[in-house]
Amino acid sequence: MPKKYFLVIPFLFAAGISVAEAEQKDISTSGTVKVGKAGAKKAAVHASASASVPVITGASAPEAATAITPAPAPATSVGKGGADKTTTPVAPASTDQPMFKFSGFGSLGVSHSSLDQGDYVLSDSMPKGVGRSSEWTESNNTRLAAHVAANFTPKVSGILQVDAEYQANGTYSPRVEMANVKYAFIPNFYMRVGRLAIPTFIDSENHDIGYSFAWVNPPVDLYQLSIHSIDGVDATYRSEIGEAVNSIKAMYGNKSTSKDMWGLFDKLEYGQATFHAGYQQRRSSTQNLLTGVTDAWIQNSDLSVGASYDPGDWFAMSEWIQRRSTFKINAMYISTGYRINKFTPYLTYGQIGPGSFLTGYPPPTAAAIERANRAQSTVSLGVRWDFRRNYDFKIQYDQVTLSDNSNGYLINVPPGVILYGSKFHVISAVVDFVF
Amino acid sequence: MFRNSLILPLLVAVATFVASAHAEVVVVVSSKSSVKSLTSEQTTKIFLGKVVTFPNGQTAFPIDQPEGSAIRDEFYSKVVHKNSSQLTAYWAKVIFTGDGRPPKLLADNVAVRKAIAGNPNAIGYIDKSAVNRSVRVVLKP
Repeated sequence: MPKKYFLVIPFLFAAGISVAEAEQKDISTSGTVKVGKAGAKKAAVHASASASVPVITGASAPEAATAITPAPAPATSVGKGGADKTTTPVAPASTDQPMFKFSGFGSLGVSHSSLDQGDYVLSDSMPKGVGRSSEWTESNNTRLAAHVAANFTPKVSGILQVDAEYQANGTYSPRVEMANVKYAFIPNFYMRVGRLAIPTFIDSENHDIGYSFAWVNPPVDLYQLSIHSIDGVDATYRSEIGEAVNSIKAMYGNKSTSKDMWGLFDKLEYGQATFHAGYQQRRSSTQNLLTGVTDAWIQNSDLSVGASYDPGDWFAMSEWIQRRSTFKINAMYISTGYRINKFTPYLTYGQIGPGSFLTGYPPPTAAAIERANRAQSTVSLGVRWDFRRNYDFKIQYDQVTLSDNSNGYLINVPPGVILYGSKFHVISAVVDFVF
Repeated sequence: MFRNSLILPLLVAVATFVASAHAEVVVVVSSKSSVKSLTSEQTTKIFLGKVVTFPNGQTAFPIDQPEGSAIRDEFYSKVVHKNSSQLTAYWAKVIFTGDGRPPKLLADNVAVRKAIAGNPNAIGYIDKSAVNRSVRVVLKP
């Protein structure tokens, strides 16, 4: 008992609770002590990811949030004349919200493929998919994520997000998807350090939040190419250009399979239109590429552009990417949807073209040729139904056509089986939620 | 013939009733604010957190009304062109990527009006019937 008690004290201290208050709470129930310990564990995980212990120490004691008084209002918010007796002063909206906000999102879904000689996957890091391994599976469309956002001061904030989804090791074990601390020099210029999402495409940062878009999944022909996150630093500057709002972001970081990644991303929003462009470079591990190149790392670059228009009743969007490695590959999609009350039917066409090998590299291996040729196209037809607050239900039909010399994105195709040029369909149904 | 002559007044009566029951939303700032008028586009950018200032450069603090309230739905459908699920989807993206937080919420028209009257940086939307001299209407959508 005393040992447990000592463990809790430093964390409550860090969370800004007075010792007197802490004693009262902790002695009364041993339950509180347990919470403190769980918090300590989480803090260790987080500290390694982004070196910001206060995020979690505070989060382990949510009471702390209410104990801390909001920062004083900036001078500009004080009225000139002051005394209007009918009015109640209010603190500026940005400073009197709770310091910690817990939320999350998830999806629960199943899919079925008509093809039993290969696995259809939404991410090529998945070891199994739907088709050959199982006729129906939840693994393409199921995920749960917990999110903590912390506002320490008007300038310093942070987020921690843990996702449980089907991943490379074949389990749903949770992993840190994002963990970063943000410092806003001015509201329109900020830097972040930690695990960051890469905005390769318009919906890259939120590719896992089913509730945030109309589709069951972002167009697979294109989005399979994106690298989701990086451990590093970014800086974002937002400005108004006439009626438009422009946001430019520079990024640098590393992850196990990509080194020295840097990127420049721009988003311009004008009325109901959004334009997005990005360029990123990195040294990628050749282990996965099997290009015949003997170096362990090879330079890769992505150029991506996209646009969307969403006046409310309908939307249309399109994106394109060109990746250059030892080969060059292009992918694109175009999608449109129409909103009728709680229903949003949509139609998407996506494709990834054949890879063409660039000169100046050793001749590619057979595996590399297969890897580079993932050419396929997909027609998706689906509907989103917002059946209750914070929930949606979606059903989607995909028709996938493999190119003449490609197995597309299929995995686990048995040796000797040639699926070139085949056509198959996938049906998916999913419930998305946010909380 | 007799029937038809009854239906028309009845329809008018029903229509009038529906119209009066329907909230008429206006966007307001403090009467002490130097902001005189705003467009729907400018208001949208403030409420979606895309800008943090009024067009004159003054800091803007948007104030929302509770989810599910008629006045909120009216404001977001008329001015921002988003229904409640589109709005939730928008904020899910912003919140979970760490880009920002939705505006502060106050309970009703009167609470919003009082808060705005006392803060020249605040902006909110209330029913037209709740407007008094402490606030200025800057947009009638």
